Amino acid sequence: MIKFLTQFGRYFMLLKKVFSKPEKLVIYYKQTLRELVYLGLNSVGIIAIISFFMGAVITLQTAYNTENPIYPKYLIGLGCRDSMILEFSSTIAALILAGKVGSNIASEIGTMRVTEQIDALEIMGVNSASYLILPKMIATLLFNPFLTIIAIIVGIFGGWIAGTFSGVMTSENFIYGIQYAFIPYYIVYSLIKTVFFAFIITSVSAFQGYFVEGGSLEVGRASTKAVVYSSVLILLFNVILTQLLLS
Amino acid sequence: MIKIVNLNKSFNGKAVLENISVTFESGKTNLIIGRSGSGKTVLLKSIVGLHEIESGEIWYEDKLFNKLDFAGKKLIRSEMGMLFQGSALFDSLTVEQNVRFPLDMFTDKTTEEKIDRVNFCLKRVDILNANELFPSELSGGMKKRVAIARAIALNPKYLFCDEPNSGLDPITAILIDALIKELTEEYSMTTIINTHDMNSVMEIGENILFISQGIKCWEGNKNEILNSDCETLNDFVFANSLAKKLRAEKK
Ligand SMILES: Nc1ncnc2c1ncn2[C@@H]1O[C@H](COP(=O)(O)OP(=O)(O)OP(=O)(O)O)[C@@H](O)[C@H]1O
Ligand SMILES: [Mg+2]
Repeated sequence: MIKFLTQFGRYFMLLKKVFSKPEKLVIYYKQTLRELVYLGLNSVGIIAIISFFMGAVITLQTAYNTENPIYPKYLIGLGCRDSMILEFSSTIAALILAGKVGSNIASEIGTMRVTEQIDALEIMGVNSASYLILPKMIATLLFNPFLTIIAIIVGIFGGWIAGTFSGVMTSENFIYGIQYAFIPYYIVYSLIKTVFFAFIITSVSAFQGYFVEGGSLEVGRASTKAVVYSSVLILLFNVILTQLLLS
Repeated sequence: MIKIVNLNKSFNGKAVLENISVTFESGKTNLIIGRSGSGKTVLLKSIVGLHEIESGEIWYEDKLFNKLDFAGKKLIRSEMGMLFQGSALFDSLTVEQNVRFPLDMFTDKTTEEKIDRVNFCLKRVDILNANELFPSELSGGMKKRVAIARAIALNPKYLFCDEPNSGLDPITAILIDALIKELTEEYSMTTIINTHDMNSVMEIGENILFISQGIKCWEGNKNEILNSDCETLNDFVFANSLAKKLRAEKK
């Protein structure tokens, strides 16, 4: 318990260090652009592929579970749309990013710690926490909402392809479905969750990496912990945020 | 000049350094020697402020470094250069960008001036035509030299080297020692070097601090070291056969 509280305290001390005044804005700006590419653009592919197939599968599953003619066909499109918007594009995508981006951040920062690169920054008088973590934070907070939008669009497109090409429904039905009883607030809800999740992934992973002690073995462990802890926190905050935003 | 008074440092209740007092002079190569695990790295990292110390004073000229706030420390740090045991070059940056990093961060020089300075420093450590290489493409000795170039990029007043020649062949090791000594005299820096290599001690040991299990055992220069009456120091010194021979010749 005491250990947990100290960790918690260190986490917030680290955040305080991250959000203190940057030394030189130009350099932070360049770093942020770099991270936008590394952490953001490089995740578009995996998010698009997974969204496409998830959309397709959700459509087919809904279709085969509602073969009873009582259900109008357009409900399949509606189901695909809402699953993509409410859960997949934010929560599931965040879990995937926790695996990809989180382990990446933890191992990068952890390696810098054990090879004394962080000490080298400190000795120069650079605020290493801010220099290493803030650009990643800004990059993911800015970019992940775009990933969410991409996930929604590609996922629904995948549903449409699967639905029409497998012949379970017509294109008109699907398109009518995805427009039926559309609540724009759901997208806002999803984007808010994404921003929270992005913060969790980046800060938790950076925390794990920043305080690594030892060698490459510990770096590996830290990156596993980063993925596990941020995933659990994402699931927990998913419940909390849903209660707050949808009730 | 750096002056340490009664420095104590422990990890989780276990004392690693006890009551160390010593003065390191400028323009001289000051050596900290001792066996593996004796506390050399911890002492060096305490001096530069990477470790919090329990008690004691660390003076940089007339400033009490360990009691300064972040801004005060930062000011002194802008005059420090440090060479780490494992070089600690930034993996994601090229050789040129590594040496340029402190210039980008702390000066308002134009790009041209920075490049000039980078090339000057790299030339000083004999690294030529490697500007675009990444640290992973360099040999161990080259990494150390690039790290020295980065450490001297801002013309530091204080230079700290943690085992600058460990893991290098004897010739490269001597070259690096000689380079550090030269730079120290040229810019009259206060240089502190950690080492357990007797060759370095005999080459460049102008002021030597010997610590054993966290306690200061002996202080002196390379001419005095062969004739000390400190048991632990003699064990350390004469573990090396070359030194044994030297002593035999003297007798
Ligand atoms: N972060 C730490 N936490 C706990 N103990 C530590 C830590 N760093 C060093 N020590 C302990 O302090 C002692 C001195 O270690 P130090 O790294 O200073 O040795 P050294 O003289 O530099 O040895 P080497 O020549 O092998 O580099 C060792 O017993 C080590 O176990
Ligand atoms: Mg050491």
